[in-house]
Amino acid sequence: MSRTALESAVRTAGGRVLAALAARYRDLDLAEEAFAEACLRAARAWPERGHPQDAAAWLYRVADRVAIDILRARAARRRIKPDPPEPAPAAEDPVNEEDFLIPDERLRLVFVCCHPALSKEARVALTLRLVCGLETEEIARAFIVPVATMAQRIVRAKNKIADAHIPFEIPGPDAWPERLDSVLSTLEVAYAGAHADAAGAGRTAGFAAEILELTRVLVDLLPKEEEALALAAMVRYAEARRPARLDDTGAMAPLSEQDPTQWNRALIHEADSYLQRAAELGPSGPRTLQAAIHSAWCGRRTRLDPPPWRTVLGLYDALLRLRDDPVVRLNRAVALAEVASPEAALREVDALDGDQLAVFPPYHAVRADLLARSGRAADARAAFDALLALPTPPAERLWLERRRASLAG
Amino acid sequence: MQYALLIYQDEVAAGLEPGNPALSAIVARHMAFSSELGAKRLGGSGLKTTASATTVRTKDGARSVHDGPFAETREQLGGFYLIEAADLDEAIEIAGKVPLAGDGAIEIRPLLRPT
Repeated sequence: MSRTALESAVRTAGGRVLAALAARYRDLDLAEEAFAEACLRAARAWPERGHPQDAAAWLYRVADRVAIDILRARAARRRIKPDPPEPAPAAEDPVNEEDFLIPDERLRLVFVCCHPALSKEARVALTLRLVCGLETEEIARAFIVPVATMAQRIVRAKNKIADAHIPFEIPGPDAWPERLDSVLSTLEVAYAGAHADAAGAGRTAGFAAEILELTRVLVDLLPKEEEALALAAMVRYAEARRPARLDDTGAMAPLSEQDPTQWNRALIHEADSYLQRAAELGPSGPRTLQAAIHSAWCGRRTRLDPPPWRTVLGLYDALLRLRDDPVVRLNRAVALAEVASPEAALREVDALDGDQLAVFPPYHAVRADLLARSGRAADARAAFDALLALPTPPAERLWLERRRASLAG
Repeated sequence: MQYALLIYQDEVAAGLEPGNPALSAIVARHMAFSSELGAKRLGGSGLKTTASATTVRTKDGARSVHDGPFAETREQLGGFYLIEAADLDEAIEIAGKVPLAGDGAIEIRPLLRPT
């Protein structure tokens, strides 16, 4: 029972504890080492002495002491410098253990992990590892890279933070647009990693929950940032549909065929209010438009409500004016096929750079569907084959194989 | 923290060869930038073009002298600053203000120091 208690404490509070330690000591390795030791001690102490009332506070307090011991030991090993001064207690530090509060330093840590001086891959990995507390193995699995590669990526990024002296500060207003965008796109990619697994059972679903929580923290701390609000809305809309993403046979159910009664209405409601706040902040940016597209879908209550293709097409048109990239054009083509015709949509898709998109599964998925609906079964089959040759999550693979098999001729 | 800011530009495209009036213009901008940096500037200099470069290479313990820069690249190291900055963010901010004659890149490298 206590083991579960510890696991759940680490899941729910680990990120906050680790962030507070990292902010206090400005040393990621030290913070991680101290936190890991605190978890070990908890695994020994809690079964004997019982689960503390405030598990996060317990872990922080113990890790803090461990960190000081580690610093002392390091200094003693060098034997040239005196003991490091004990860090001055921060204003938020507790006076008494009963009302112990850990300052939420996660935002600071997010800005460190998402610093533009780190590679994009490293930002995602570090954020998931340090802010969301995921194991390296989990991150490697979500992004389909070998564990050793992921571990090395994380170590390199941590070394760069220390060596180049990337600050543990929330950046000033002039650096804000670039820095915030880096944070938001990192969280987007991180969520995509959690979302890719449609089944989302167990740990993977928990990992999506971490990102939802992080977007909430971000929005609480930055209540006037339109794109941050939009991202918070977007991940909630997407997550709300998780219960409907698989059919009874375990195959993927595409958005337009999902049963809206299975969607999580509470989460959609939360998303709606974030989106509304984002929309009130002025001209809509790309993420707000994307969230609005999700919102249009989530407005369906049952299968009897008509799919919002026309609204979706209009929103993609608006998005295209802000962000003209092949992914937006591809998504727009899906809506165009419904509003106009599959042939019209196919002309748009075939105007895209097929070589550049060859490794991008949705390109083949959209093409295959449009070809099939245009009566070009042989071409559609070839597109399905190109798609199935790429790494595909199992639920999607099942659905695609079925679609391919159903082609006439 | 101390950082080196290494300035890379296509020296031909930027007109930084001797005798070009563009050279004196960029030198004047660097002088103004240096005085703006004040005490944060620990050192640095512009470099003559790679036409004047000599490379001493060591391979398998044997030393040989070559004409030219260590590598033929599209952009060449044209100068450097040594600066004092609180952290990478400040170094990035300073690097963003380094005068360039046209396109170019500033590589920021923390100095190796005994800890």
